[in-house]
Amino acid sequence: MTLRGAGGRLALALPIGALVALGLLAAALAVICVASLATGSYPLRLAEVAAALAGAAPDEAATTVVREFRLPRVLVGLVAGALLGVSGAVLQIVTRNPLTDPSLVGVSQGASLAVVTLIVAMPGADAALRPVAAFAAGLAVAAVIQSIAARRTEGATMRFILTGIGVAAFIAALTTALLTYGAMQDALAAIGWLSGSLHAVGWGEAKALTLSALALAPVAAWAARPLAALRLGPEVAIGLGVRVRPARVALITLSTACAAAAVAAVGPIGFVGLVAPHLARRIARAGVGLHLALAAATGVLLVSSADLAGRAAFAPVQIPAGIVTAALGAPIFALLILRPRRR
Amino acid sequence: MTRTGARAPIGVALVFAAMLPAFALHVSIGATAIPLATVAEAFAAYDPTAFDHVVIREHRAPRALFAATVGAALAVAGALMQGVTRNPLADPGLLGLLAGAAFAVSLAVGAFDLLDPAWTPAVAAGGALAGAALVGSIAAAAPGGATPITLILAGAAVTAFLGALTTLALLLDEATFQALRVWLTGSLSAGDRDVFLRALPWFGAGFVVAFALARQVTALALGEEAAIGVGVQVLRLRAFTLLAVVALTAAAVAVAGPVGFVGLVVPHAARLLFGSDYRRIVPGSAALGGLGLLLIDVAARRALAPIEISTGIVTALIGAPVFVWLIRARL
Repeated sequence: MTLRGAGGRLALALPIGALVALGLLAAALAVICVASLATGSYPLRLAEVAAALAGAAPDEAATTVVREFRLPRVLVGLVAGALLGVSGAVLQIVTRNPLTDPSLVGVSQGASLAVVTLIVAMPGADAALRPVAAFAAGLAVAAVIQSIAARRTEGATMRFILTGIGVAAFIAALTTALLTYGAMQDALAAIGWLSGSLHAVGWGEAKALTLSALALAPVAAWAARPLAALRLGPEVAIGLGVRVRPARVALITLSTACAAAAVAAVGPIGFVGLVAPHLARRIARAGVGLHLALAAATGVLLVSSADLAGRAAFAPVQIPAGIVTAALGAPIFALLILRPRRR
Repeated sequence: MTRTGARAPIGVALVFAAMLPAFALHVSIGATAIPLATVAEAFAAYDPTAFDHVVIREHRAPRALFAATVGAALAVAGALMQGVTRNPLADPGLLGLLAGAAFAVSLAVGAFDLLDPAWTPAVAAGGALAGAALVGSIAAAAPGGATPITLILAGAAVTAFLGALTTLALLLDEATFQALRVWLTGSLSAGDRDVFLRALPWFGAGFVVAFALARQVTALALGEEAAIGVGVQVLRLRAFTLLAVVALTAAAVAVAGPVGFVGLVVPHAARLLFGSDYRRIVPGSAALGGLGLLLIDVAARRALAPIEISTGIVTALIGAPVFVWLIRARL
């Protein structure tokens, strides 16, 4: 898709490639969504899926399966994937480090600790509290890390990453302690949540997640401009009139809020935030706004296909999507980083 | 030589000497406290019919020995890594070696029913080497090269990846989860005498190589050109230290599971106390690591008694804040 025209036409040519890629991603996504609606322990033909969606299925069970179980699951996969992709893309640009992943620097770990505490230490607590606690804890941990890492000297983002990894290790140790000494069945339930799975989501999670995504979307749109400046380095950003330090804090908060919302709904699904921006960059060179859109689309593709693969591969055993993204995402990432982009 | 340098051998000897009372304290404390006099008796005049003597000789003394050895091994491994890579944040846990070893052992136990202790250290060594290679190659391929921060991020990513695979193995096989859930948190309570005996040659080889190479590591820590200038073969030194680090880490994981942050924190303490010469730092780290893990294990057993916390959880709870402090102080 490299329409390298002469001179001034170059600026037009690049977005065309990215837009075509975005269209192809959307098409692939539609196929996966339909397959996801049709696949499962109650397999359906495409016509039946369409009928169930329209509410005109001859079979009561088909309508229930599609509308109450599979549709919210597909929707959550879409929104969570987009949030994780955007989160990773923003964090990688702000920190100017291609190895940053929101799931490695404390957000997921804070959310995990909150949920494991609810499951193990308060087994009677309402399951609806889990996303709320996870979101609040993820944001709180990110705020703590930012305040520890904040100092007036340079290298603020590097300290943010490293501090995040240290805090993540501390919180993970607390989580492990809870897991080791909790009752066996509670610990197993918590481990299931910790591996990042979509199989328990319903319309409640889908609505909450969609609302938070809608709230974050305008912020992400605003973020494109300071991100474009920061991508060129702090000096250039200052030259372009961006107030670097507040912008950094705001952008890191945006990134962690996206990740925390996704983790709250589906548990810690790792490597999507790491891999999606890299894939997006390989698919098409684009400005920051389109890059964010591409990263979101790639994240959606990763989470949705991981969920579908995890359900179909070893059926009736369901492999959590988080395990699939880690098992496939890590090798993909290694390949991407070991094979430099062709110039 | 600085004043710390001149006094360092005495300091190292003092720390080694302090291990004896720590050992006695570790042995005498437990579900029932045993007086120190009885502890001494159990070694001087062993009476197989006395219950306390049997408890000491069969259970408590081995555990104290495991703690001291594992602590020393991980601390020396961390010291070598920090010296050779000239990276103050190097540590077997942060750079993926512990995760690699733990995953390899879980896989061997879970998927292949490989329970023979003779194989555990070798399996752990293979896993640790693979983890280190993965982290090293990812960091080297990253734009900007293997800086401390890319190494740590690559280590965190590899640890998360292997952790996910370990979780998968545990989810598919509940029996393995039961057998390994304590060991995977880094616990000395699961220590097995057979495994320890099989791990001894690995510990021994690792310590011998570490002590023998300490002088050259000092030269390399000053910079690659300085090291070449005094006749150090850098590539060979790197290869040998990597083998020593892998052997020490693997033996420690085989005995106690993944105990993190010992290799990060202890060498920094040793450097503060004994100066920057690795002929002091390596033995100093061994002594401080052994002493530290003995005391931490006492705390792990007594802090929430009768519940016992895993040693690895306590080391992470202490070590992670130190890591954060190091970042604030050094970067």
